[in-house]
Amino acid sequence: MYNEVYKNLKVRKFYDKIYDWAKSLPENIIVKKKNEAENLFKKIGITFSVYNNFDSTERLIPFDMFPRIISGTEWKKIKNGVVQRALAINAFLNDIYNSGEIVKAKIIPENLIYKNPAYEIKMVGFKVPKRIYSPIIGSDIIRVDEKIFKVLEDNCRTPSGVSYMIENREIMMRMFPELFEKLKIETVENYPHYLLDVLKSLAPKKCNKEPKVVILTPGSLNSAYYEHSFLADLMGVELVQGTDLFVDESITYMKTTRGPEKVDIIYRRIDDRFIDPISFDSSSLIGIPGLFDSYKSDNVNICSAPGSGIADDKAIYSYLPEIIKFYLGEEPILENVKTWRCYKDDERKYVLNNLNKLVVKEVHGSGGYGLMIGSKSSKKQIENFRKKILLNPENYIAQPILELSSVPIFDKNRLSPRHVDLRPFCLVGANKTKLVNGGLTRVALKEGSLIVNSSQGGGVKDTWVLNE
Amino acid sequence: MLSRTAENLFWSARYIERADSLARLLEVGYRISLIPNTEAGYNNEWESILETSGMKNEYLKKYKNISKEQIIFYLLFDLENPSSVKNCITSARENIRMVRTAVTLEVWNAINTSFHELDKNMKDTKNILKELPEIIEWIKKQVNLIRGTILNTQLINDGYDFLILGTYFERADFTARIINVKYFILLPSINYVGSDIDNFQWSLMLRSISSFRAFQWAYGGQEITYIKILDFLILNMTCPRSLIFSVEKIHHHLDRLTKFYKQTSTSKKKIRSIYKKLKNLNANRISDIGLHEFLKSFIEEINFVYKKFEQKYFFGLET
Repeated sequence: MYNEVYKNLKVRKFYDKIYDWAKSLPENIIVKKKNEAENLFKKIGITFSVYNNFDSTERLIPFDMFPRIISGTEWKKIKNGVVQRALAINAFLNDIYNSGEIVKAKIIPENLIYKNPAYEIKMVGFKVPKRIYSPIIGSDIIRVDEKIFKVLEDNCRTPSGVSYMIENREIMMRMFPELFEKLKIETVENYPHYLLDVLKSLAPKKCNKEPKVVILTPGSLNSAYYEHSFLADLMGVELVQGTDLFVDESITYMKTTRGPEKVDIIYRRIDDRFIDPISFDSSSLIGIPGLFDSYKSDNVNICSAPGSGIADDKAIYSYLPEIIKFYLGEEPILENVKTWRCYKDDERKYVLNNLNKLVVKEVHGSGGYGLMIGSKSSKKQIENFRKKILLNPENYIAQPILELSSVPIFDKNRLSPRHVDLRPFCLVGANKTKLVNGGLTRVALKEGSLIVNSSQGGGVKDTWVLNE
Repeated sequence: MLSRTAENLFWSARYIERADSLARLLEVGYRISLIPNTEAGYNNEWESILETSGMKNEYLKKYKNISKEQIIFYLLFDLENPSSVKNCITSARENIRMVRTAVTLEVWNAINTSFHELDKNMKDTKNILKELPEIIEWIKKQVNLIRGTILNTQLINDGYDFLILGTYFERADFTARIINVKYFILLPSINYVGSDIDNFQWSLMLRSISSFRAFQWAYGGQEITYIKILDFLILNMTCPRSLIFSVEKIHHHLDRLTKFYKQTSTSKKKIRSIYKKLKNLNANRISDIGLHEFLKSFIEEINFVYKKFEQKYFFGLET
């Protein structure tokens, strides 16, 4: 396991100042600051909801004060790699919903795309504004050693967590201003500005004025509601729910105290199937009847485009190096994690013979659900997954059990290592890409745990990209 | 602004005002309970408080018998009472949370902190009477804090108008209701008008709307009389709890909205006529018309204004 802070019992150079600082904090100050941070989160209202069958309650996401540091050189590589992937993914989506060159070239099997449940047949042949399907991509990156960062997955639909990236920084700056004098740290506060700029560049064809952007949320009970309202606030755009919008003669409007107002670009934070009860799931109460028609008649843009989710598919992910080469003619800058696709006979055979050494994932699973970590599962759980794979091999991939790198947390006021990952947010607009120098570091708070998702006991840290 | 945003702002402010009114009403109950009952007549002060709150029927459905601890709990913390202070503050926060971006961070902090601290003040029913003054103080303090942040930090735009309208629609309704209750429910019979108990109850009513001292100042420390009270609570523009004051505020902010949106509205026209009518009225005349009749029609008229206002700005209908 790669420890980002220590090397042979010595502290790595980027961490020396922070380590000394952390070590010098008296116990009572740590306790005090922890409470202070918690109160700040509570006060600002940064909570997320946890769903269960009985109610939905607000919880605070655990925040750890020990920052995660990435050097300027390391960051440059991550940044270039993430941008490269984001461009390739958009080119791929554009291709598969139009001429399908990548299939014709036999680089990706036909069935994997055209028979994929995430392939949206209604999008075939439609020219999305500026050919950008997924303007916001959050790639989950893990570090395996000194040199190598790998991408675990790319989230192309509605990746969340960016509000924590910004608020974590806000809180660290409020609590420990002295640290920001010791180190030169890149700022992340421009994100909302970049996002608005990128969205505005994606106006639909029939918009010939300054485009009106809104954020569409499922509502205040959604787990990421805080983030939706946070972004709307910082971007200065309306946060709307389905009931605030309506479509009349293929034009989308929102209901305002002044009367109906035309909407041009919708940054939606609801799933494809809920956006329009006429074109998709007819039981959706949070959608807008007629929205898809308005979209297809070039009156409104929906970001991300319906059908983008196919690029989240973990079997498609395994082809990303080929996708990058095919569309960009470049070698991938960031590596993928070795992935066995269970629909292939030889790869499935390997997986079934090595279940206890692998992580098996559903191709559309997310949030740390729908997966099995072989080394941490009982015989029964393993056999259960074996059956599932045999029954429906297309639905599974497997990867080696990775040792995520570790960074210490304040655990009972002592420093103790925990596994982390990193999610930068890449923005893709018309002829431009933007990325703030930073990202969200998620940390598995349980000792030894590899699951960093907030819904399953994960926390967050501020992430510092050094300006060197 | 989104219609839903306007609606959430309005209701948030309205719930805050309601919590405030309840706290002040409970303060009256507490004060009466400290004064020995020397007069004959009405001596179950807690029942009359419950009556004034307009929640007596609901209360009796749940508890069957009248107990002061139970009443206090019901008005303050009972989750099954949709208008309890606890539910008012929770609803105010929920409404603001849904439109978090329409208020400043300071307004949000004030409401959100009130919500989080409320549970700390939630006492078990056994000790509730003892703790009551402290709880009431806390509620009043929080409401003033919230209102202060609204006045001092919000942009004075249409959102501000909706917030202020929430406050004054609620206050106009509450004051009208409390005067009505005083005369037609609390006083054992009409023979008591002008008696000691009548005046004593009036002084309590004044306290419940925090206007006891104000009354003394406004009328030069003269004896409390029926006519003066009517003048004060209905027609005195300097009293922030009087009906005309609320009506003037509603008029002012509806007028601002029509100017802001460059549109006309039925609600504004109607509130203007109510305001003019009140301005030309005097207390003796109200007494001649009959107080009850006057209040009944006032409440109906304000409700009409509200309906038109709601249709136009919240539902997007032409009115």
